[in-house]
Amino acid sequence: MRVLIIDPDSARAALVVEGLAGVDPLEARHSTTFDEAEARAFAPDVVVVAAESPDRDTIDSLREAGQVNPRPVVMFVDRSEPGLAEEAVRAGVAAYVVDGLAPSRVRGVLEVALSRFQLMHQLRKDLEKAKADLASRKTVERAKALLMKERGLEEEAAYRLLRKLSMDTGRPLAAVAADLLAFAGVLKGDGQ
Amino acid sequence: MTPVSLGYVPLCDAAALIVGHAMGFFADEGLAVTLSREASWATIRDKLAVGALDGAHMLAPMVVAQSLGLGCEPTEILAPTALGRGGAALTISSRLSLGDDPAAGLLALVDRRREADASLLTFSVVFPYSIHNYLLRNWMCGAGVDPDHDVRITVAAPPRMAALLAGGAIEGFCAGEPWNAVAEEQAVGRVAVRIADLAPQALDKVFGVPKSWASRDPAALQAVLRALARAMAWAGDPANRESLAELLAEPEHLGASSTAIARGLKHIRFDGDIAAKDADWLLAQMVRWGQVDRAEKARVLGLFDPGAFGGSAPGA
Repeated sequence: MRVLIIDPDSARAALVVEGLAGVDPLEARHSTTFDEAEARAFAPDVVVVAAESPDRDTIDSLREAGQVNPRPVVMFVDRSEPGLAEEAVRAGVAAYVVDGLAPSRVRGVLEVALSRFQLMHQLRKDLEKAKADLASRKTVERAKALLMKERGLEEEAAYRLLRKLSMDTGRPLAAVAADLLAFAGVLKGDGQ
Repeated sequence: MTPVSLGYVPLCDAAALIVGHAMGFFADEGLAVTLSREASWATIRDKLAVGALDGAHMLAPMVVAQSLGLGCEPTEILAPTALGRGGAALTISSRLSLGDDPAAGLLALVDRRREADASLLTFSVVFPYSIHNYLLRNWMCGAGVDPDHDVRITVAAPPRMAALLAGGAIEGFCAGEPWNAVAEEQAVGRVAVRIADLAPQALDKVFGVPKSWASRDPAALQAVLRALARAMAWAGDPANRESLAELLAEPEHLGASSTAIARGLKHIRFDGDIAAKDADWLLAQMVRWGQVDRAEKARVLGLFDPGAFGGSAPGA
């Protein structure tokens, strides 16, 4: 089986290819853009396309023009498992199959692509959260240092003061710390 | 606040959605709108079908195609308001010198290439179910060129068109603004004909909603329609032209130059009115090009109804 993956995000496409390698004897290729001549030469049985790809309408329209394209592709809608196609749309992945391929094999490909898209999404989200956590920890550290310097507090006491401010105002610790730093900046004459 | 998910494709006539969101018109109606830019019409179609979007910027003929299940699973979509008319145009590569009369020039070129046994000229449209496809085909027929046999017609996303033209992959394209203005700005193509020259009243973009969502929450639909009407009034006001061009030019929206966007905006009429004659015209085009059977007339007309679910024509 030959699978062509069109995804502007080549790291994610590579992840899909890697996932497919364990599934079935197949040849998988990925590209950031769709080239009709290249696709025809490769003659894929399945085309997996990311929703972010602007080439999706080009691929979608090929099945409308059967007489021009010798390898018409049709959209994969698996009626036996209604949740899968829907989940794929939400995850931003679409698949087109060339007529004649057994539905079970297509389902396998779509399941792998879907799980890899979701994995990539989770990895990116985790990375963003880690960055945000790191940034807020730095803000809290700076606010603590400011309190220690200006109010002559011990580290522990400075932290307790920040925690109290956070609880009294019902706002996250990092937000209170950021406000404190901003106010201190204004009092010192920054931002004028 | 009622959560509502809306989607659009990067084009000038998506302005009502972008303005409604940026200027807080949706929020004023008690709506918490999540706006997503989509890279293709097929994704808009699929997301509406599974409920990942509640409403979207759509090509008017797409509403018919999706409701009737042409090229997809059928999902009934209603279009209670238009979003814009006049943005569609045919741009032809600067490499082709067709003279002062592009129609006659194209016919002569097609004849010459046929005699020389050269490959067919390629033109791109934005979607099979689009007035851009009909505009190109009708114009070619008027020129004496057979769109099915004398040229090759492919589909490509509007933001890709200028690059395809520059790279020589296509000789012309029919798409909405600002992508014609962008091709002219980059000096890779020139506008040969506009929808205003052939069918000035043609219904181009509409706001489409799945009937299931509209009937589940008619109050939210009416709130969205009021915000869109207000956004169109704002977008259509010449005093706001410059701010609108700047807003649309932002990378997360259209990501094109604000000068090209401002030039494209000149051709667009932001008018929500939608009438039975719009649906009649669309149906005639879809029948002419073999996409729909005339017997579907009653169903098609019912899809473009501003009065559905308690509404009145926005702007009326």
